[in-house]
Amino acid sequence: MSGIAIGRLTEERKAWRKDHPFGFIAKPTKNPDGTLNLLNWECFIPGKKGTNWDGGLFKLRMLFKEDYPSSPPKYEDKDWRPAITIKQILLGIQELLNEPNIKDPAQAEAYTAFMQNRTEYDRRVKEQAIKFSNVQVTE
Amino acid sequence: MEKRSTKASSNDPKHKHDPDDEDFYLNNDDDEYDDDEDDDNDYDDYMDDTDDLEYTSSNASKYDPTPSVEIFTSQNSTVTPNSSYASTSLKNLSQSTTNQPDLSKSLTKRNIELDEEFKYEVLSPDKIVQYMTECIADVNSVLELTPTITRTLLHHFKWDKEKLMERFYDGDQDRLFREAHIVSPFRPNTYKRTTSSQSTRSSRLKEFCCEICFMQYTEDNMSGLECGHKFCKPCWREYLTTKIMDEGMGQTISCAAHKCDILVDDTSVMTLLQDPIVKIKYQHLITNSFVECNRLMRWCPAPNCSNAIKAQYFDAQPVKCDCGHVFCFSCGELWHDPVKCKWLKKWIKKCDDDSETSNWIAANTKECPKCQVTIEKNGGCNHMICKNQACRSEFCWVCLGPWEPHGSSWYNCNRFNEDDAKKARDAQEKSRHALQRYLHYCNRYMNHHQSLKLEQKLTASIREKMEEMQQHNMSWIEVQFLRKAVEVLCQCRQTLMYTYAFAFYLKRNNHSIIFEDNQADLEIAVEKLSGYLEREITSDNAVETKQKVQDKYRYCEQRRKVLLDHVHEGYDKDYWEYQEDL
Repeated sequence: MSGIAIGRLTEERKAWRKDHPFGFIAKPTKNPDGTLNLLNWECFIPGKKGTNWDGGLFKLRMLFKEDYPSSPPKYEDKDWRPAITIKQILLGIQELLNEPNIKDPAQAEAYTAFMQNRTEYDRRVKEQAIKFSNVQVTE
Repeated sequence: MEKRSTKASSNDPKHKHDPDDEDFYLNNDDDEYDDDEDDDNDYDDYMDDTDDLEYTSSNASKYDPTPSVEIFTSQNSTVTPNSSYASTSLKNLSQSTTNQPDLSKSLTKRNIELDEEFKYEVLSPDKIVQYMTECIADVNSVLELTPTITRTLLHHFKWDKEKLMERFYDGDQDRLFREAHIVSPFRPNTYKRTTSSQSTRSSRLKEFCCEICFMQYTEDNMSGLECGHKFCKPCWREYLTTKIMDEGMGQTISCAAHKCDILVDDTSVMTLLQDPIVKIKYQHLITNSFVECNRLMRWCPAPNCSNAIKAQYFDAQPVKCDCGHVFCFSCGELWHDPVKCKWLKKWIKKCDDDSETSNWIAANTKECPKCQVTIEKNGGCNHMICKNQACRSEFCWVCLGPWEPHGSSWYNCNRFNEDDAKKARDAQEKSRHALQRYLHYCNRYMNHHQSLKLEQKLTASIREKMEEMQQHNMSWIEVQFLRKAVEVLCQCRQTLMYTYAFAFYLKRNNHSIIFEDNQADLEIAVEKLSGYLEREITSDNAVETKQKVQDKYRYCEQRRKVLLDHVHEGYDKDYWEYQEDL
């Protein structure tokens, strides 16, 4: 069903351009020949206002496989449904930044800091937010 | 079963749904089962099945609710323990008369005393499905919902009918349906406004966009659950196939929509799916979850056996499958009296994992005090020079201190009694003792385990012996004692094997000493019996041997009973104390 992946991602792109949450960026990368690679997206998530993440812009790459949306894009969580859109994923991640899922930690170091030393964790988060506040985004 | 070519149709959104596909067993609520019929009648039918001892599947079709989809290899005859007993012995008898008594059969069907009080049934795959349908119909006769909703509710309550009834009539039904991830059938469904009954010609021709593939479809090709989320049929198919085939999910597949927790019911799955392979896998998953969720059911763990046991109440009791396998209903292991499931589980885990390897390392090796490399001392003096080329440190094996102060008095470490050295020695002594203790029990357990594995071989040799003795002027009936002796031997070995798992966790007290005496006594008797069975039988000693074997196996039987009775008494009267930390 490889036809579906490209069709769906084209629609995702259309839908995104029409309407997306403020401050977010999501775009397919370009192949060397200048064409779009719909299976490889570059995304940016702004830190949520009023949290330690505020001010940061966090980059992530989304890799899709030929059987998308049966299979989730790479990095995705366990409860995947084929009807989840890229917009919902990115908003979900923004949410997760500030409310990490402590039952299913993704990074050992961050998890340890979060559980054992919240001051240190918060300090590191703010540091990251500042570090990534000046990311150059070229359209 | 008719194999449909699905490749062409699965990609074709306009593929008309084949009505034949709907006649699956899951939705069976019609005339085949009369809701008003008593359970007793079914029971009588089971008895009838066993009364005529013909093991053919002729009357299986009578109840077979899946004539078109053959899910399982056809097996039949559900029997009660008593009648299964009778049938076995009759079977043996009929085999015996052919002068080729098949001992191996009778041995795997070892006669472990089955508790008459503990009633259970053996269900073949067909009967499992039938029983599942009956459960649904039974509950549904009261709740009056659709079978599909009842099934999901029952699954939510792990097939505990009473619990479901209780919750159902306990008030908050909305909450009940919400928790079971079902759209309540009692609430007016806002989503269903535009569906089939009201759909006009124009809406039928209207195109809808599937939010998964973003392609346009007419309403006929869109499908959804009661929650109202609609997707095109090919996308549904793809989604369900992934869940079933790749993730092995059956009863717990959710709607394909984001954050919707409504479960996909079996009717929808079977309607949407086309590939018979996926359908069969789904039915397997459903049956499997039925048996596994159900506290009163357990699969027979024997390889290649697809029967399940259904009991009237949950207990650690021996059950015997139609395939002959005898196992514990509570944990599924071989029948393991006298040890309890909890301790056996712990014991098996201990034997399986390599905690004992690390124990051995702790008991038999030390670490170089400088570079921490593990060293096994296999002889020589206590003056150690580390072989690690980067280390080469010299130290004393006894106290692990640097060698220099020891001077030439290597044979008598003058730091021997220093605190650190003493502590290290004590720790090592302790793990050495723990290892030895474990090995003591493990060796004996494994020994019986091994002997039991040789059962087939023993059976063959005994059969030869029986033939031989018939040539020494003994009649067929006169040599049957050997068969009984082998049976007793294996039974005793199995019991002895599990006594070691029991004893390993036992704290020493007066009763544990009595237990060990019983164990030793039985052990000696069993080894003697085993020895007799291996002896040559000549015409001179045939009569004498028979006498000896008979005496011994009767003694073994008796001692086994004494041992088990004592342990059981201990359970009743709390004799036994355990060492939890082993």
